Amino acid sequence: MSYEKEQMERNFKGESSADRLDIPLLKYMWDASPLAFLTSDESYHEFFKKISVLQSFSDNEVRLFTKFLHRREFTANEVIFKQGDSGYGFYFIFSGAVNIFSSQYMLEGEDLGDLVIRLEKRQYFGEMGLLEEFNRRSASVVAAENTVLLGIFKPDLERMLEMYPVLGAKFLRETALIMANRMGQLTREIVAMKKKIKELEQRV
Amino acid sequence: MNKNQKVKIYLFFFLLIATIAFAVLFPRLTLPFGFAYIIYLMTKPLTILLTTGSKKQRLFYLLIMVVGVTFLLFPVFATFYNVETDIGQLYQQLPLVEKILQDKFFVFKVHFFERFGIRLNMDPVTYLMKKMESQGGDLLSQFPNYLSTVFEWLLLVPLFMYFFFKESKNFSSKFMEAIPNPIFEKTFVLFSQFNTKFGEYIIAKFIEATILGTLVTIGLLIVGFPYPFILGFIAGVTNILPYIGPVIGFVPAFFIALLSKDPNASMAGMAIIYLLANLIDTILVFPLLVSKIVNLHPIVVVVSIIIGSQLGGIVGMIVIIPFIAFFKLLFKEIYKDLSVQT
Repeated sequence: MSYEKEQMERNFKGESSADRLDIPLLKYMWDASPLAFLTSDESYHEFFKKISVLQSFSDNEVRLFTKFLHRREFTANEVIFKQGDSGYGFYFIFSGAVNIFSSQYMLEGEDLGDLVIRLEKRQYFGEMGLLEEFNRRSASVVAAENTVLLGIFKPDLERMLEMYPVLGAKFLRETALIMANRMGQLTREIVAMKKKIKELEQRV
Repeated sequence: MNKNQKVKIYLFFFLLIATIAFAVLFPRLTLPFGFAYIIYLMTKPLTILLTTGSKKQRLFYLLIMVVGVTFLLFPVFATFYNVETDIGQLYQQLPLVEKILQDKFFVFKVHFFERFGIRLNMDPVTYLMKKMESQGGDLLSQFPNYLSTVFEWLLLVPLFMYFFFKESKNFSSKFMEAIPNPIFEKTFVLFSQFNTKFGEYIIAKFIEATILGTLVTIGLLIVGFPYPFILGFIAGVTNILPYIGPVIGFVPAFFIALLSKDPNASMAGMAIIYLLANLIDTILVFPLLVSKIVNLHPIVVVVSIIIGSQLGGIVGMIVIIPFIAFFKLLFKEIYKDLSVQT
Protein backbone atom coordinates (compact mmCIF):
# COMPACT_ATOMS: atom_id res chain seq x y z
CA MET A 1 0.00 0.00 0.00
CA SER A 2 1.42 3.41 -0.92
CA TYR A 3 1.80 6.23 1.59
CA GLU A 4 -0.72 8.32 -0.37
CA LYS A 5 -3.24 5.47 -0.29
CA GLU A 6 -2.70 5.06 3.45
CA GLN A 7 -3.40 8.78 3.97
CA MET A 8 -6.48 8.67 1.68
CA GLU A 9 -7.89 5.72 3.62
CA ARG A 10 -7.27 7.59 6.85
CA ASN A 11 -9.17 10.64 5.48
CA PHE A 12 -11.96 8.39 4.20
CA LYS A 13 -12.36 6.89 7.69
CA GLY A 14 -12.63 10.41 9.08
CA GLU A 15 -9.32 10.14 10.93
CA SER A 16 -7.24 13.29 11.02
CA SER A 17 -3.67 13.26 9.79
CA ALA A 18 -0.86 13.76 12.27
CA ASP A 19 -1.10 17.22 13.84
CA ARG A 20 2.64 17.72 13.96
CA LEU A 21 5.64 17.11 11.74
CA ASP A 22 6.58 13.47 11.64
CA ILE A 23 10.36 13.87 11.82
CA PRO A 24 11.25 10.17 11.31
CA LEU A 25 9.00 10.09 8.23
CA LEU A 26 10.58 13.27 6.82
CA LYS A 27 14.03 11.85 7.50
CA TYR A 28 13.01 8.66 5.73
CA MET A 29 11.62 10.58 2.73
CA TRP A 30 14.85 12.61 2.58
CA ASP A 31 16.89 9.40 2.54
CA ALA A 32 14.61 7.89 -0.08
CA SER A 33 14.89 10.87 -2.44
CA PRO A 34 16.49 10.29 -5.87
CA LEU A 35 19.33 12.63 -4.83
CA ALA A 36 20.22 10.40 -1.89
CA PHE A 37 23.24 8.99 -3.78
CA LEU A 38 24.95 12.36 -3.14
CA THR A 39 25.37 11.41 0.51
CA SER A 40 28.14 8.95 1.40
CA ASP A 41 26.11 6.58 3.59
CA GLU A 42 23.53 4.34 1.99
CA SER A 43 20.05 4.54 3.48
CA TYR A 44 17.96 1.49 4.36
CA HIS A 45 15.54 2.49 1.60
CA GLU A 46 18.22 2.59 -1.08
CA PHE A 47 19.65 -0.66 0.24
CA PHE A 48 16.40 -2.60 0.07
CA LYS A 49 15.36 -1.12 -3.26
CA LYS A 50 18.51 -2.68 -4.73
CA ILE A 51 17.78 -6.16 -3.32
CA SER A 52 16.21 -8.10 -6.16
CA VAL A 53 13.74 -10.17 -4.15
CA LEU A 54 12.29 -7.09 -2.42
CA GLN A 55 11.93 -5.00 -5.56
CA SER A 56 8.19 -5.57 -5.66
CA PHE A 57 7.84 -3.60 -2.41
CA SER A 58 6.52 -0.05 -2.77
CA ASP A 59 8.40 2.85 -1.13
CA ASN A 60 5.95 2.87 1.77
CA GLU A 61 6.18 -0.89 2.20
CA VAL A 62 9.97 -0.66 2.39
CA ARG A 63 9.54 2.12 5.00
CA LEU A 64 7.23 -0.09 7.08
CA PHE A 65 9.44 -3.14 6.58
CA THR A 66 12.52 -1.36 7.97
CA LYS A 67 10.63 -0.73 11.23
CA PHE A 68 10.84 -4.46 12.00
CA LEU A 69 14.57 -4.84 11.43
CA HIS A 70 17.36 -5.13 13.99
CA ARG A 71 20.75 -3.65 13.20
CA ARG A 72 23.57 -5.86 14.50
CA GLU A 73 27.25 -4.95 14.19
CA PHE A 74 29.95 -7.65 14.04
CA THR A 75 33.71 -7.29 14.08
CA ALA A 76 35.95 -9.27 11.70
CA ASN A 77 36.06 -13.01 12.52
CA GLU A 78 33.14 -12.76 14.95
CA VAL A 79 30.85 -15.78 14.78
CA ILE A 80 27.30 -14.82 13.78
CA PHE A 81 25.92 -18.28 14.39
CA LYS A 82 27.23 -21.83 14.44
CA GLN A 83 26.07 -24.95 12.66
CA GLY A 84 23.50 -26.73 14.86
CA ASP A 85 22.40 -23.56 16.73
CA SER A 86 18.66 -22.88 16.99
CA GLY A 87 17.75 -20.50 14.18
CA TYR A 88 15.15 -17.76 14.44
CA GLY A 89 16.23 -15.06 12.03
CA PHE A 90 16.94 -13.99 8.49
CA TYR A 91 19.84 -11.58 7.83
CA PHE A 92 20.62 -9.06 5.08
CA ILE A 93 24.23 -7.91 4.73
CA PHE A 94 24.04 -4.10 4.95
CA SER A 95 27.82 -3.63 4.82
CA GLY A 96 30.88 -5.90 4.96
CA ALA A 97 30.91 -9.59 4.09
CA VAL A 98 30.44 -12.99 5.71
CA ASN A 99 31.98 -16.42 5.21
CA ILE A 100 29.81 -19.53 5.40
CA PHE A 101 31.39 -22.73 6.69
CA SER A 102 29.93 -26.18 6.75
CA SER A 103 30.96 -29.54 8.11
CA GLN A 104 29.51 -33.01 7.76
CA TYR A 105 29.84 -33.42 11.53
CA MET A 106 29.27 -31.11 14.50
CA LEU A 107 32.69 -29.72 15.36
CA GLU A 108 33.99 -28.76 18.79
CA GLY A 109 35.73 -25.48 19.67
CA GLU A 110 36.82 -22.89 17.11
CA ASP A 111 36.87 -25.24 14.10
CA LEU A 112 33.91 -24.43 11.85
CA GLY A 113 34.49 -26.79 8.93
CA ASP A 114 35.14 -25.96 5.27
CA LEU A 115 34.48 -22.60 3.64
CA VAL A 116 31.43 -22.98 1.40
CA ILE A 117 30.82 -19.47 0.12
CA ARG A 118 31.52 -15.81 0.81
CA LEU A 119 28.50 -13.51 0.80
CA GLU A 120 28.87 -9.79 0.16
CA LYS A 121 26.79 -6.66 0.66
CA ARG A 122 23.08 -6.94 -0.32
CA GLN A 123 23.14 -10.72 -0.09
CA TYR A 124 21.18 -12.58 2.53
CA PHE A 125 21.21 -15.79 4.56
CA GLY A 126 19.30 -17.69 7.27
CA GLU A 127 15.82 -17.56 5.70
CA MET A 128 15.09 -21.14 6.86
CA GLY A 129 15.32 -19.93 10.46
CA LEU A 130 12.43 -17.59 9.88
CA LEU A 131 10.08 -20.21 8.42
CA GLU A 132 10.90 -23.55 10.06
CA GLU A 133 9.38 -24.24 13.48
CA PHE A 134 12.43 -25.92 15.03
CA ASN A 135 15.24 -24.78 12.85
CA ARG A 136 18.85 -25.83 13.32
CA ARG A 137 21.42 -23.79 11.42
CA SER A 138 22.82 -25.94 8.63
CA ALA A 139 26.09 -23.99 8.43
CA SER A 140 28.24 -21.63 10.47
CA VAL A 141 28.48 -17.95 9.51
CA VAL A 142 31.44 -15.74 10.42
CA ALA A 143 31.97 -12.04 9.69
CA ALA A 144 34.77 -11.84 7.11
CA GLU A 145 35.37 -8.17 7.96
CA ASN A 146 33.62 -5.54 10.08
CA THR A 147 30.02 -6.20 9.10
CA VAL A 148 26.61 -4.69 9.68
CA LEU A 149 23.64 -7.03 9.37
CA LEU A 150 19.94 -6.21 9.29
CA GLY A 151 18.03 -9.09 10.86
CA ILE A 152 14.38 -9.97 11.02
CA PHE A 153 13.26 -12.66 13.48
CA LYS A 154 10.23 -14.88 14.05
CA PRO A 155 8.54 -12.56 16.61
CA ASP A 156 9.03 -9.61 14.20
CA LEU A 157 7.37 -11.55 11.40
CA GLU A 158 4.44 -12.43 13.69
CA ARG A 159 4.11 -8.78 14.70
CA MET A 160 4.30 -7.70 11.05
CA LEU A 161 1.55 -10.16 10.07
CA GLU A 162 -0.59 -8.85 12.91
CA MET A 163 -0.04 -5.14 12.23
CA TYR A 164 0.41 -5.07 8.43
CA PRO A 165 -0.97 -8.39 7.08
CA VAL A 166 -0.52 -7.42 3.41
CA LEU A 167 3.11 -6.48 3.95
CA GLY A 168 3.67 -9.64 6.02
CA ALA A 169 2.15 -11.84 3.33
CA LYS A 170 4.21 -10.11 0.64
CA PHE A 171 7.41 -10.61 2.64
CA LEU A 172 6.54 -14.27 3.24
CA ARG A 173 5.97 -14.72 -0.50
CA GLU A 174 9.38 -13.20 -1.25
CA THR A 175 11.02 -15.44 1.38
CA ALA A 176 9.30 -18.48 -0.13
CA LEU A 177 10.68 -17.37 -3.54
CA ILE A 178 14.19 -17.19 -2.09
CA MET A 179 13.77 -20.70 -0.71
CA ALA A 180 12.37 -21.97 -4.02
CA ASN A 181 15.39 -20.49 -5.85
CA ARG A 182 17.75 -22.16 -3.39
CA MET A 183 15.92 -25.47 -3.78
CA GLY A 184 16.16 -25.16 -7.58
CA GLN A 185 19.88 -24.47 -7.29
CA LEU A 186 20.30 -27.42 -4.92
CA THR A 187 18.42 -29.76 -7.26
CA ARG A 188 20.61 -28.71 -10.19
CA GLU A 189 23.74 -29.33 -8.09
CA ILE A 190 22.50 -32.78 -7.02
CA VAL A 191 21.75 -33.70 -10.65
CA ALA A 192 25.22 -32.56 -11.71
CA MET A 193 26.83 -34.50 -8.84
CA LYS A 194 24.90 -37.66 -9.67
CA LYS A 195 26.04 -37.30 -13.27
CA LYS A 196 29.65 -36.96 -12.12
CA ILE A 197 29.36 -40.00 -9.85
CA LYS A 198 27.95 -42.04 -12.73
CA GLU A 199 30.83 -40.95 -14.98
CA LEU A 200 33.35 -41.89 -12.27
CA GLU A 201 31.67 -45.27 -11.75
CA GLN A 202 31.81 -45.97 -15.50
CA ARG A 203 35.52 -45.04 -15.56
CA VAL A 204 36.28 -47.37 -12.65
CA MET B 1 34.77 -15.65 21.16
CA ASN B 2 37.19 -12.77 21.83
CA LYS B 3 37.82 -10.99 25.16
CA ASN B 4 35.53 -8.00 24.40
CA GLN B 5 32.60 -10.26 23.56
CA LYS B 6 33.10 -12.23 26.78
CA VAL B 7 33.18 -8.99 28.82
CA LYS B 8 29.98 -7.83 27.09
CA ILE B 9 28.20 -11.10 27.95
CA TYR B 10 29.35 -10.99 31.62
CA LEU B 11 28.28 -7.35 31.89
CA PHE B 12 24.87 -8.09 30.39
CA PHE B 13 24.21 -10.98 32.80
CA PHE B 14 25.50 -8.93 35.74
CA LEU B 15 23.02 -6.14 34.85
CA LEU B 16 20.23 -8.69 34.46
CA ILE B 17 20.93 -10.29 37.85
CA ALA B 18 21.29 -6.85 39.48
CA THR B 19 17.86 -5.85 38.07
CA ILE B 20 16.26 -9.05 39.41
CA ALA B 21 17.91 -8.53 42.82
CA PHE B 22 16.66 -4.92 42.88
CA ALA B 23 13.14 -6.14 42.03
CA VAL B 24 13.19 -8.71 44.86
CA LEU B 25 14.72 -6.31 47.40
CA PHE B 26 12.32 -3.42 46.70
CA PRO B 27 8.82 -4.92 46.41
CA ARG B 28 7.32 -1.52 47.19
CA LEU B 29 8.47 -0.44 43.73
CA THR B 30 8.33 -3.78 41.95
CA LEU B 31 4.71 -4.60 42.80
CA PRO B 32 3.14 -1.37 41.44
CA PHE B 33 5.53 -1.65 38.48
CA GLY B 34 4.32 -5.20 37.84
CA PHE B 35 0.69 -4.16 38.26
CA ALA B 36 1.13 -1.28 35.77
CA TYR B 37 2.83 -3.71 33.36
CA ILE B 38 -0.13 -6.11 33.65
CA ILE B 39 -2.57 -3.31 32.76
CA TYR B 40 -0.27 -2.21 29.92
CA LEU B 41 -0.23 -5.73 28.47
CA MET B 42 -3.99 -6.03 28.83
CA THR B 43 -4.63 -2.79 26.96
CA LYS B 44 -1.84 -3.25 24.37
CA PRO B 45 -4.03 -4.98 21.75
CA LEU B 46 -6.49 -2.10 22.15
CA THR B 47 -3.79 0.52 21.57
CA ILE B 48 -2.72 -1.17 18.33
CA LEU B 49 -6.36 -1.17 17.27
CA LEU B 50 -7.23 2.37 18.28
CA THR B 51 -4.16 4.51 17.82
CA THR B 52 -3.44 5.90 14.42
CA GLY B 53 -2.56 9.58 14.69
CA SER B 54 -0.31 11.12 17.31
CA LYS B 55 -3.17 13.31 18.69
CA LYS B 56 -5.36 10.25 19.14
CA GLN B 57 -2.51 8.37 20.72
CA ARG B 58 -2.02 10.99 23.39
CA LEU B 59 -5.77 11.18 23.97
CA PHE B 60 -5.87 7.42 24.37
CA TYR B 61 -3.01 7.44 26.88
CA LEU B 62 -4.85 10.13 28.81
CA LEU B 63 -8.07 8.11 28.72
CA ILE B 64 -6.25 5.01 29.99
CA MET B 65 -4.79 7.02 32.85
CA VAL B 66 -8.18 8.53 33.79
CA VAL B 67 -9.87 5.11 33.71
CA GLY B 68 -6.96 3.59 35.66
CA VAL B 69 -7.04 6.28 38.34
CA THR B 70 -10.84 6.11 38.66
CA PHE B 71 -10.69 2.34 38.84
CA LEU B 72 -8.11 2.57 41.61
CA LEU B 73 -9.74 5.50 43.44
CA PHE B 74 -13.25 4.13 43.66
CA PRO B 75 -12.58 1.15 45.95
CA VAL B 76 -10.25 3.30 48.07
CA PHE B 77 -12.89 5.89 48.85
CA ALA B 78 -15.60 3.28 49.18
CA THR B 79 -13.43 1.38 51.65
CA PHE B 80 -12.34 4.55 53.44
CA TYR B 81 -15.91 5.60 54.16
CA ASN B 82 -17.25 2.17 55.10
CA VAL B 83 -14.38 0.33 56.71
CA GLU B 84 -15.05 1.44 60.26
CA THR B 85 -18.74 0.55 60.20
CA ASP B 86 -18.01 -2.68 58.30
CA ILE B 87 -15.44 -3.84 60.85
CA GLY B 88 -17.75 -2.80 63.71
CA GLN B 89 -20.61 -4.79 62.17
CA LEU B 90 -18.30 -7.76 61.66
CA TYR B 91 -17.29 -7.66 65.35
CA GLN B 92 -20.98 -7.57 66.36
CA GLN B 93 -21.70 -10.53 64.12
CA LEU B 94 -18.73 -12.63 65.28
CA PRO B 95 -20.34 -14.03 68.49
CA LEU B 96 -23.37 -15.05 66.45
CA VAL B 97 -21.17 -16.77 63.85
CA GLU B 98 -19.26 -18.49 66.67
CA LYS B 99 -22.49 -19.76 68.26
CA ILE B 100 -23.80 -21.12 64.95
CA LEU B 101 -20.48 -22.82 64.19
CA GLN B 102 -20.31 -24.28 67.74
CA ASP B 103 -23.86 -25.70 67.34
CA LYS B 104 -23.02 -27.20 63.94
CA PHE B 105 -19.79 -28.71 65.24
CA PHE B 106 -21.61 -30.15 68.27
CA VAL B 107 -24.15 -31.85 66.01
CA PHE B 108 -21.28 -33.17 63.88
CA LYS B 109 -19.47 -34.49 67.00
CA VAL B 110 -22.62 -36.33 68.16
CA HIS B 111 -23.12 -37.88 64.67
CA PHE B 112 -19.45 -38.86 64.53
CA PHE B 113 -19.65 -40.55 67.96
CA GLU B 114 -22.85 -42.44 67.06
CA ARG B 115 -21.37 -43.63 63.78
CA PHE B 116 -17.75 -44.44 64.66
CA GLY B 117 -17.77 -44.56 68.50
CA ILE B 118 -14.93 -42.04 68.71
CA ARG B 119 -15.30 -38.92 70.88
CA LEU B 120 -13.82 -35.80 69.28
CA ASN B 121 -12.14 -33.73 72.03
CA MET B 122 -11.12 -30.77 69.96
CA ASP B 123 -12.45 -27.24 69.73
CA PRO B 124 -11.46 -25.85 66.33
CA VAL B 125 -14.26 -23.25 66.33
CA THR B 126 -12.98 -21.34 69.40
CA TYR B 127 -9.44 -21.46 67.97
CA LEU B 128 -10.66 -20.18 64.60
CA MET B 129 -12.71 -17.35 66.14
CA LYS B 130 -9.84 -16.25 68.41
CA LYS B 131 -7.53 -16.25 65.40
CA MET B 132 -10.05 -14.17 63.41
CA GLU B 133 -10.46 -11.67 66.25
CA SER B 134 -6.69 -11.20 66.60
CA GLN B 135 -6.30 -10.94 62.81
CA GLY B 136 -9.12 -8.37 62.75
CA GLY B 137 -7.36 -6.39 65.48
CA ASP B 138 -4.10 -6.54 63.49
CA LEU B 139 -5.94 -5.39 60.38
CA LEU B 140 -7.35 -2.40 62.27
CA SER B 141 -4.01 -1.41 63.77
CA GLN B 142 -2.28 -1.81 60.40
CA PHE B 143 -4.98 0.16 58.57
CA PRO B 144 -2.98 3.45 58.29
CA ASN B 145 -0.08 1.50 56.73
CA TYR B 146 -2.40 -0.15 54.20
CA LEU B 147 -3.87 3.23 53.35
CA SER B 148 -0.44 4.79 52.77
CA THR B 149 0.48 1.83 50.51
CA VAL B 150 -2.72 2.34 48.53
CA PHE B 151 -1.96 6.05 48.04
CA GLU B 152 1.59 5.16 47.01
CA TRP B 153 0.16 2.81 44.38
CA LEU B 154 -2.23 5.54 43.23
CA LEU B 155 0.76 7.71 42.47
CA LEU B 156 3.10 5.06 41.06
CA VAL B 157 0.78 2.88 38.95
CA PRO B 158 -0.44 5.69 36.60
CA LEU B 159 3.15 6.99 36.38
CA PHE B 160 4.51 3.58 35.36
CA MET B 161 1.57 3.06 32.99
CA TYR B 162 2.34 6.36 31.27
CA PHE B 163 6.00 5.25 31.02
CA PHE B 164 4.99 1.92 29.44
CA PHE B 165 2.66 3.48 26.88
CA LYS B 166 5.00 6.29 25.96
CA GLU B 167 8.48 4.79 26.23
CA SER B 168 8.18 1.01 26.01
CA LYS B 169 9.15 0.95 22.32
CA ASN B 170 12.33 3.01 22.87
CA PHE B 171 13.13 1.10 26.03
CA SER B 172 12.77 -2.31 24.38
CA SER B 173 14.88 -1.25 21.35
CA LYS B 174 17.62 0.04 23.72
CA PHE B 175 17.42 -3.24 25.64
CA MET B 176 17.76 -5.20 22.37
CA GLU B 177 20.82 -3.17 21.39
CA ALA B 178 22.43 -4.03 24.73
CA ILE B 179 22.10 -7.79 24.18
CA PRO B 180 25.49 -9.19 23.11
CA ASN B 181 25.67 -10.74 19.60
CA PRO B 182 26.29 -14.40 20.57
CA ILE B 183 23.10 -14.60 22.64
CA PHE B 184 20.97 -12.08 20.74
CA GLU B 185 18.71 -14.38 18.69
CA LYS B 186 17.78 -16.65 21.59
CA THR B 187 17.34 -13.83 24.12
CA PHE B 188 15.18 -11.79 21.76
CA VAL B 189 12.95 -14.73 20.89
CA LEU B 190 12.59 -15.81 24.55
CA PHE B 191 11.89 -12.22 25.62
CA SER B 192 9.20 -11.88 22.93
CA GLN B 193 7.68 -15.26 23.83
CA PHE B 194 7.60 -14.30 27.51
CA ASN B 195 5.87 -11.00 26.70
CA THR B 196 3.30 -12.74 24.52
CA LYS B 197 2.69 -15.55 27.04
CA PHE B 198 2.43 -13.14 29.95
CA GLY B 199 0.00 -10.83 28.11
CA GLU B 200 -2.14 -13.73 26.86
CA TYR B 201 -2.24 -15.29 30.35
CA ILE B 202 -3.32 -12.07 32.04
CA ILE B 203 -6.05 -11.41 29.45
CA ALA B 204 -7.23 -15.04 29.62
CA LYS B 205 -7.39 -14.96 33.44
CA PHE B 206 -9.25 -11.66 33.33
CA ILE B 207 -11.85 -13.09 30.91
CA GLU B 208 -12.11 -16.29 32.98
CA ALA B 209 -12.64 -14.26 36.18
CA THR B 210 -15.32 -12.13 34.48
CA ILE B 211 -17.18 -15.22 33.22
CA LEU B 212 -17.07 -16.94 36.63
CA GLY B 213 -18.04 -13.75 38.49
CA THR B 214 -20.99 -13.22 36.14
CA LEU B 215 -22.12 -16.86 36.50
CA VAL B 216 -22.02 -16.68 40.31
CA THR B 217 -23.86 -13.32 40.36
CA ILE B 218 -26.62 -14.57 38.04
CA GLY B 219 -26.94 -17.83 39.98
CA LEU B 220 -27.17 -16.09 43.36
CA LEU B 221 -29.71 -13.62 41.93
CA ILE B 222 -31.85 -16.55 40.74
CA VAL B 223 -31.82 -18.33 44.13
CA GLY B 224 -32.35 -15.01 45.93
CA PHE B 225 -29.14 -15.15 47.97
CA PRO B 226 -28.10 -11.81 49.59
CA TYR B 227 -25.26 -9.60 48.21
CA PRO B 228 -25.07 -11.35 44.78
CA PHE B 229 -23.00 -8.62 43.11
CA ILE B 230 -20.31 -8.30 45.76
CA LEU B 231 -20.08 -12.09 46.16
CA GLY B 232 -19.85 -12.53 42.37
CA PHE B 233 -17.12 -9.91 42.27
CA ILE B 234 -15.18 -11.67 45.08
CA ALA B 235 -15.60 -15.07 43.37
CA GLY B 236 -14.31 -13.59 40.09
CA VAL B 237 -11.31 -11.85 41.65
CA THR B 238 -10.25 -14.79 43.83
CA ASN B 239 -10.63 -17.13 40.85
CA ILE B 240 -7.55 -15.48 39.34
CA LEU B 241 -5.59 -17.73 41.73
CA PRO B 242 -5.71 -21.26 40.36
CA TYR B 243 -6.97 -24.12 42.63
CA ILE B 244 -6.89 -22.07 45.88
CA GLY B 245 -8.92 -19.14 44.53
CA PRO B 246 -12.35 -20.85 44.23
CA VAL B 247 -12.10 -22.01 47.88
CA ILE B 248 -11.21 -18.51 49.13
CA GLY B 249 -14.04 -17.06 47.00
CA PHE B 250 -16.51 -19.46 48.61
CA VAL B 251 -15.69 -18.46 52.25
CA PRO B 252 -17.63 -15.12 52.44
CA ALA B 253 -20.74 -16.73 50.93
CA PHE B 254 -20.45 -19.58 53.45
CA PHE B 255 -20.49 -17.15 56.39
CA ILE B 256 -23.38 -15.16 54.94
CA ALA B 257 -25.36 -18.41 54.52
CA LEU B 258 -24.67 -19.27 58.19
CA LEU B 259 -26.13 -15.92 59.28
CA SER B 260 -29.32 -16.30 57.24
CA LYS B 261 -32.68 -17.30 58.79
CA ASP B 262 -32.71 -20.71 57.10
CA PRO B 263 -29.01 -21.68 56.93
CA ASN B 264 -29.50 -25.16 55.47
CA ALA B 265 -31.63 -24.02 52.51
CA SER B 266 -29.38 -21.01 51.79
CA MET B 267 -26.24 -23.12 52.05
CA ALA B 268 -27.56 -25.77 49.64
CA GLY B 269 -28.66 -23.26 46.99
CA MET B 270 -25.50 -21.21 47.26
CA ALA B 271 -23.20 -24.27 47.25
CA ILE B 272 -24.88 -25.62 44.08
CA ILE B 273 -24.38 -22.25 42.35
CA TYR B 274 -20.67 -22.11 43.30
CA LEU B 275 -20.18 -25.75 42.32
CA LEU B 276 -21.89 -25.27 38.94
CA ALA B 277 -19.98 -22.06 38.19
CA ASN B 278 -16.66 -23.71 39.07
CA LEU B 279 -17.55 -26.83 37.07
CA ILE B 280 -18.29 -24.72 33.99
CA ASP B 281 -15.00 -22.93 34.60
CA THR B 282 -12.98 -26.15 35.03
CA ILE B 283 -14.58 -28.11 32.17
CA LEU B 284 -15.18 -25.36 29.62
CA VAL B 285 -13.57 -21.99 30.26
CA PHE B 286 -10.16 -22.99 31.68
CA PRO B 287 -9.26 -25.61 29.02
CA LEU B 288 -10.35 -23.29 26.22
CA LEU B 289 -8.70 -20.11 27.47
CA VAL B 290 -5.87 -20.68 29.92
CA SER B 291 -4.45 -24.20 29.93
CA LYS B 292 -2.94 -23.99 26.43
CA ILE B 293 -1.03 -20.85 27.40
CA VAL B 294 0.41 -22.13 30.68
CA ASN B 295 0.53 -25.93 30.28
CA LEU B 296 1.94 -26.69 33.76
CA HIS B 297 1.39 -29.67 36.05
CA PRO B 298 -1.17 -28.95 38.85
CA ILE B 299 1.43 -29.64 41.58
CA VAL B 300 3.83 -27.18 39.95
CA VAL B 301 1.01 -24.60 39.87
CA VAL B 302 0.18 -25.03 43.60
CA VAL B 303 3.86 -24.91 44.66
CA SER B 304 4.39 -21.85 42.45
CA ILE B 305 1.44 -20.05 44.06
CA ILE B 306 2.87 -20.68 47.53
CA ILE B 307 6.28 -19.37 46.44
CA GLY B 308 4.59 -16.39 44.73
CA SER B 309 2.63 -15.47 47.86
CA GLN B 310 5.86 -15.66 49.90
CA LEU B 311 7.66 -13.35 47.47
CA GLY B 312 5.02 -10.80 46.53
CA GLY B 313 1.68 -11.41 48.26
CA ILE B 314 -1.43 -11.50 46.07
CA VAL B 315 0.28 -9.90 43.04
CA GLY B 316 3.08 -12.44 43.40
CA MET B 317 0.54 -15.27 43.42
CA ILE B 318 -0.96 -14.06 40.13
CA VAL B 319 2.27 -13.16 38.37
CA ILE B 320 4.30 -16.25 39.33
CA ILE B 321 2.40 -18.65 36.99
CA PRO B 322 3.46 -17.07 33.66
CA PHE B 323 6.98 -16.68 35.08
CA ILE B 324 7.14 -20.40 35.83
CA ALA B 325 5.74 -21.14 32.35
CA PHE B 326 8.51 -18.96 30.94
CA PHE B 327 11.20 -20.76 32.97
CA LYS B 328 9.84 -24.06 31.70
CA LEU B 329 10.24 -22.72 28.15
CA LEU B 330 13.75 -21.49 28.95
CA PHE B 331 14.89 -24.82 30.40
CA LYS B 332 13.37 -26.64 27.45
CA GLU B 333 15.37 -24.44 25.04
CA ILE B 334 18.60 -24.95 27.02
CA TYR B 335 18.01 -28.71 27.22
CA LYS B 336 17.29 -28.82 23.48
CA ASP B 337 20.55 -26.99 22.76
CA LEU B 338 22.57 -29.22 25.08
CA SER B 339 21.12 -32.40 23.56
CA VAL B 340 22.08 -31.20 20.06
CA GLN B 341 25.61 -30.34 21.17
CA THR B 342 26.13 -33.75 22.78
